[in-house]
Amino acid sequence: MITTLPKRLGVKFSLKQQPQLQPDDILPIFQRWIQEGRVEGMLIDVIDYKHVPEGPGVVLIADEADYAYDLGDGQTGLHYIRKRDLPDDFAAALALVFHCALQGARALEAEAPEDLRFNFSSVKVSFFDRMNYRNESAVYDAIGGAVAEVMTGIYGAEISISRVYDDPRRLLALRVEAQSDDLDLADISRRLNASRQTV
Amino acid sequence: MTTWKELLDDKIPAEMGKLIDTYEAQMELRKQGKLDEKVFAESRLRKGVYGQRYDNGQRHDGVRTRELHYSSDEVVKGPDTLWDAPGMQRIKIPYGGLTAEQLEVLSELADEYSDGILHITTRQDIQLHYVHIDDTPDLMRRLAAVSITTQEACGNSVRNITACALAGVCHDEVFDVSPYADAMTQFLLGHDDVQDFGRKFKVAFSGCAGHACGLVKMHDLGLLAQTRELDGEAVRGFTVFVGGGLGTVPHQAKVLAEFCTEEQLLPLTQAIARVFARLGEKKNRNRARLKFLVAKLGIDEFRGLVEEELKTVPPDPRHTDYIPKVSDFVNAPAKAGMALNGAPLPDGFAEWYATNVYKQVQGGYSTITLNTPLGDLTSEQGFKLADIAREYVGDNIRLSVEQNVVLRWVADADLPAIYRDLLAIGLGDANAGTIVDITTCPGTDTCKLGIASSRGLTAELRARLIERINLLPDAVRDLKIKVSGCFNSCGQHHVADIGFFGNSRRSGNHKMPHFQVVLGGQWHENAGSYGLAVGAVPAKRVPDVIEALTERYVAERAEDENFQTWIKELGRKEIKAMLQPFTKLPSFEEKPDMFSDWGDSRVYTIDDIGVGECAGEVVSLFSMEISRAESTHFEALLALDEGDYALADENAYKAMVQAARALVRTKHLDVGDDYNNIVDEFRTRFYDTELIYDRFAKGKFARYLFNRHKESPARINEDYAHQIIDETQLFIENVHTAEQRINGVIVS
Repeated sequence: MITTLPKRLGVKFSLKQQPQLQPDDILPIFQRWIQEGRVEGMLIDVIDYKHVPEGPGVVLIADEADYAYDLGDGQTGLHYIRKRDLPDDFAAALALVFHCALQGARALEAEAPEDLRFNFSSVKVSFFDRMNYRNESAVYDAIGGAVAEVMTGIYGAEISISRVYDDPRRLLALRVEAQSDDLDLADISRRLNASRQTV
Repeated sequence: MTTWKELLDDKIPAEMGKLIDTYEAQMELRKQGKLDEKVFAESRLRKGVYGQRYDNGQRHDGVRTRELHYSSDEVVKGPDTLWDAPGMQRIKIPYGGLTAEQLEVLSELADEYSDGILHITTRQDIQLHYVHIDDTPDLMRRLAAVSITTQEACGNSVRNITACALAGVCHDEVFDVSPYADAMTQFLLGHDDVQDFGRKFKVAFSGCAGHACGLVKMHDLGLLAQTRELDGEAVRGFTVFVGGGLGTVPHQAKVLAEFCTEEQLLPLTQAIARVFARLGEKKNRNRARLKFLVAKLGIDEFRGLVEEELKTVPPDPRHTDYIPKVSDFVNAPAKAGMALNGAPLPDGFAEWYATNVYKQVQGGYSTITLNTPLGDLTSEQGFKLADIAREYVGDNIRLSVEQNVVLRWVADADLPAIYRDLLAIGLGDANAGTIVDITTCPGTDTCKLGIASSRGLTAELRARLIERINLLPDAVRDLKIKVSGCFNSCGQHHVADIGFFGNSRRSGNHKMPHFQVVLGGQWHENAGSYGLAVGAVPAKRVPDVIEALTERYVAERAEDENFQTWIKELGRKEIKAMLQPFTKLPSFEEKPDMFSDWGDSRVYTIDDIGVGECAGEVVSLFSMEISRAESTHFEALLALDEGDYALADENAYKAMVQAARALVRTKHLDVGDDYNNIVDEFRTRFYDTELIYDRFAKGKFARYLFNRHKESPARINEDYAHQIIDETQLFIENVHTAEQRINGVIVS
């Protein structure tokens, strides 16, 4: 049971393989998303950090969250970081963050239909809160079960879960892998919507 | 639930904790509307909590201006600055000195409160962007727990005190200035005598006269290490420079004292601060820096005032308490020094060694510079860099004014290993200090004042130059490029071989991002001389301009002729002719990509201008007239080059009047040629109505015209001619911008 919400909560989907699309190409896409209101949130600006190795890449800054075409950990992906306005309940909060990350990743896939594909069966969940969630095994042990329960509900399948970084200075991050060969994203979306409506 | 305040209570110095608590209480009062927004803004700024672009709740998305509806739309943290809008946190790192533990904490904060990036500034600060103000008290507490303060990082205060990153390990220094920079930081922080300035006050220390490093000549107060023999003993002291500064109109500092002893250093600084606080301009921010006071009074009168003031400075044990401890100042290796031992070297090591390694004065040790692109590090790099520091150099980490990280006291035998480790974390790039190592301010990415994308341009230039670096002759490799996003000089474009600052021009009914080219500035000799603007080119043509300039420099330079000398020899006429092909403005239909800035796909805009009326011939008349003003300004530059300062002044003045006339004639065709009429009409129609007002500088540029029109200069010398020419350039830019705003059918 998680009773204290993290200050920020992130979900990252990585790409299955490096696409033809370059980080340079993402910048105009994100700029256009602001014009079109393509993803949720009050979208403010785009910032370009692709010159920094394994950094946040190209970031679409919103009031509530950031959508990053993230180059971290040597795995390019879509990293959604919720900065504020998380629901009070952890399960609902994680469902919301997963939903927004999924929406952002699918919107990016639509920009390059033949090329850019995410691996949705694997996700990194990050707790941006060293006060309440230090990256220590005791903390991981205490919250792993609650995260697993929520993620099992979202995926509708068995999952495996592990800690991403050993370095205690890094953020607490969990790798969640769905044990299913044929994930149905429509089903996942339905479950997420139902979960959000319940909240 | 535990809070950071509770958790760190025993680690935060009491005084620092109290200041943060007070600030947090002020935040609450402001939210309740019980504290005036301007008062809170200054208080916030003095904690380093800065506004950021779009915090007024508006942004042009390339098609239209959007309202940004932040959660608490009604609450502001300053005039036109919405509470929930993301902002920037500036963090002072005195003389750029960092410990491994401090670097780790900074990295944690970048993760949790910012966007995962630590940005190094040209004042050896760290900046975090996109920070919510509500997070700032805890952010400050976590810094305070490792002895870092954000107090007086911004606002009308003593900013981060800078010093050469090689201080203590340099071959040429007179002595290590670090302990003096540290002592002055501690002494001035929160001191009563530095709380009532009209503007900021910047201090720098340098260990030697010849190199750039401390840049003392471009500071409000610059201190250059010297020793003198007094009563048969060698004593330490400083040559004291005052009244330097870049900004819109750069001033070279003047020598206040050829030599002040270390005992005199802090009381003399205190006296300077008291004179500045008492006599410095308070109402007009644009004339409030110390440089204006020194220029107004003259250095001799200013010196006299400081000497009188010094007699009234009360005795304070802190003036000299630190001196016996100077020799204990931490400047020691973590490991024994050892020469390279002949072991096989990794690929790329030789190139990296040639540009990034400085052999220290202490045998067996080197200082290495990490070529940090655009001054940005990720939090992950921060953690791993702290590990590398602990393994090889301990706490000997510095930040440089060229926006790089510097590791000192690397045992030479460790160089191959540390190179491998740095490569593994993406910080092993060669070419530190070369043409690819470009300095840049944040520009339109995050700065409220940005006009063009300095970071976008820098990233583009860096990528292109890295591709060609091995093909470039040494004379080109060693050039300095510095970029600012506007006429303020945060990117220090005045002291580069090739500098740029952002501005804009119109072509038809669209605006196009431009950069003014500034050539011939001098980085060495502590920013020994400033470059002058030679013409504006479209942002997208800047790479071509650099190629043309450098190719010609290589082809035509005399043996060992440096860039400044070559530029001077070439002359402005020829430079202008060389730039001419790049200044041609295509229409939007011909080249739409030229109307977007680097790293930004939006059609360019700098403000949210609606569709107006009456373009056509009025605009074309304006274009013709303003081009005359620009030509006359150019004549002034030529006169300056020829040493005819009176003619330079006459032409600069004429150019300002012509620019004013160009604008007046868009409303009143029959204004005639009489200077008095033109200036009167200009004042009535554009200044009194505030139509000419720049969004941030307000009527500052127009007042350059009024001041010159009101009275001829009492004495005309080279400094004065430089100044009036720079002012004229800024006034012409101001007229361009105002015309676009007032008369244009601007659609972007």
